[in-house]
Amino acid sequence: MPTRHLPHYLMVLPFMLLFAVFFLYPIASGFFYSFHDWNAASDPRFVGLANYTRILGSRDFERAMWNLATYIVITVPLGILTALGLALLVDSFTGFWSNVFRSVFFLPVVLPAFLAATIWRWMYAPSFGLINMVLGWFGIPSVNFLNDTGTMLYALIAVDIWVSAGFNMVILLAGLKNIPTDLYEAARLDGASRFQQIRYVTIPMLAPVLFFVTTYGFISALQVFDVPWLLTGSSFTQYGGRQNALLFPVMDMMGRAFGAVRFGQAAAYGFILTAIIVAFTAVMFALRGKEAQR
Amino acid sequence: MRPAASLTSAFAFLCLAGPLGAATPAAAQAPVTLEYWVYSDFAQGEALALQQKFISEFREKHPNVTINISGRGDDDLTAGQVAGAASGTLPDVFMNGLAVGAQLVEVGALSNIYPQWMKMPQEYRDQFDKDALASCMPKPDTLYCLPYTGFGEIMFRNLKVLREAGIDTAQPPKDWAEWYAQMQKVKESGKYAMPDQTQVFNSVASTYAVVGDVKGWGVDFETKKTRIDPATYAKVLQLFVDMAPLNSGTSRNDQATKDLFITNQLAFHVVGPWVDPTYKQAAADSGLEYDFTLVPAMDASRHGGIKSYEIVGVAPGTNQDIAFEFAAFITEKNQMARWAELLSRYNANAAAMAEPAVAKLPLVATSVEAVKYAVDVMPPYFVGAYPNCYRSIVTDNASAVADGDMTPDEGAKALVEELNDCLAN
Repeated sequence: MPTRHLPHYLMVLPFMLLFAVFFLYPIASGFFYSFHDWNAASDPRFVGLANYTRILGSRDFERAMWNLATYIVITVPLGILTALGLALLVDSFTGFWSNVFRSVFFLPVVLPAFLAATIWRWMYAPSFGLINMVLGWFGIPSVNFLNDTGTMLYALIAVDIWVSAGFNMVILLAGLKNIPTDLYEAARLDGASRFQQIRYVTIPMLAPVLFFVTTYGFISALQVFDVPWLLTGSSFTQYGGRQNALLFPVMDMMGRAFGAVRFGQAAAYGFILTAIIVAFTAVMFALRGKEAQR
Repeated sequence: MRPAASLTSAFAFLCLAGPLGAATPAAAQAPVTLEYWVYSDFAQGEALALQQKFISEFREKHPNVTINISGRGDDDLTAGQVAGAASGTLPDVFMNGLAVGAQLVEVGALSNIYPQWMKMPQEYRDQFDKDALASCMPKPDTLYCLPYTGFGEIMFRNLKVLREAGIDTAQPPKDWAEWYAQMQKVKESGKYAMPDQTQVFNSVASTYAVVGDVKGWGVDFETKKTRIDPATYAKVLQLFVDMAPLNSGTSRNDQATKDLFITNQLAFHVVGPWVDPTYKQAAADSGLEYDFTLVPAMDASRHGGIKSYEIVGVAPGTNQDIAFEFAAFITEKNQMARWAELLSRYNANAAAMAEPAVAKLPLVATSVEAVKYAVDVMPPYFVGAYPNCYRSIVTDNASAVADGDMTPDEGAKALVEELNDCLAN
């Protein structure tokens, strides 16, 4: 190493040390524990791939992954469409009203999760909840949104979109502001309708931002935890709601760690989830790369 | 779609700290600093002021000891104690619930304080409720905790709702038959009788106690089988079927349930005494008319409901002796009597409960009576941890039967099979 670079290395050393201690080391030790039976008190006992096979073969994992897949398939596209719609709406206003709409739509993002869940639990309450009251005006019988296995997942998706749409809207709005107005002028001169302008100008120009929002939304969705946890009144010893209709992988992982005190299994669970996230992100980047080459 | 930031960081911390091995606690020497973790509601307002007074009083005799009190929610207490056990950063004295005692023992968070306990004067040891103390003693020479505050479940009645339903509120219902008749009248008047008792494990346990056989609730960890008798449980499930058309659809823990009670839409709320301050405030603010009474049972000579205790535990380590001294101090009669008086809460110090100033408190008096009949939530304690599937199976089964997916007999049989399967695996 040439000595002239020494000051540079010294300057990055604090970061590298912190990165090693707080990122690399936990990852490495988590990987180590994922092959051990460990309850935090006893010495770790090497069990090979037993933690992985036990998780992959468990009914709870199967249920959690099924819930997750359904949740992602609906939440990610619907959430982005909602955010895009809001961004276009806000973008169509200027000045005061633009700020008002932007603030109102962003408000759920800054609301603490427990508060959002409490509000929605009230709204979803059978018979007297706001949603059931409205349904009642149309003669629709009361629905127990949070205790009926047929509706629980959709009830969660609605809350999650409500919570996250504002964040995505702000990102997309920034993308919209960067689209040169002369492109729209040219489209208008060519006789493009408003819908055609969105289809042929807005969406292609937003592609990099949409890619970011999709990837972020996807990774966030894989880690879904707090809203279903709160909506189902979960604790470390009971979580996932009725018939595990709102059981998700991170909840299962936390329950195995702090409820069942099986840290080896929880660590293995974390690595399975990480592998899934990495694989999907790689696919997304590959698709994006191909798209960019065309 | 927010990640589980705080909990995952606790888990990451555990992975980080684990391989370093248990940190060697500082050698016992003056000055000593004790970390003291309590429930979050004990670390605010008047409760915190009294806790700090206890600390000051303890420090008068131990000026070298500094005690840092810290309030945490239920799950944060457990996560912090489990992570702390692995990393050698356990608080010295801490609270938690009896129901997680087995997990805390498994991770080595709780020390056996029996030797220190036996060194205490007989007068101190005799102060505790014997059943509560027995809950902390899985074996004769092993004591994992000092029982602290507790509860025997009681039934809150909205008197206005009952009167509007044409019910005489002078006397509470003497048994299930009378109670059920009142529930039906409430429903006929257009109000809700009860929360949905099938949604929460504790309310299923509470209903089990209504039927009786309090010893039949729980797990036999030797045989890895549930103690629940299908014939008895079928009767419990029938109660859920009977209550299904009368309930609000919300669980007993929902904020919506309390709001329904406060706004005169709900007649009965079977729960612990911790909701009383909320209802008392509503009585002052909006004229809520309510009282509380023992939970009726099938048999008029008994009562339903559950009981449990919060515990004070002491971490292993070189501070263990002084930590136990502090734990013993805060659980001693004088402190427990003041604590009970402030909170109007029942606790495990029977001598404190017998103090005239405490015994005359209506909520405490009712709780003392309730505890005599109530069923333990998750017995036996400190023997084995209930697997996570256990609670879910119980509530799922109760909901399914209440919804008509199974008959009570079928449900009871299925429940026992599923619970035994869960325990075996």
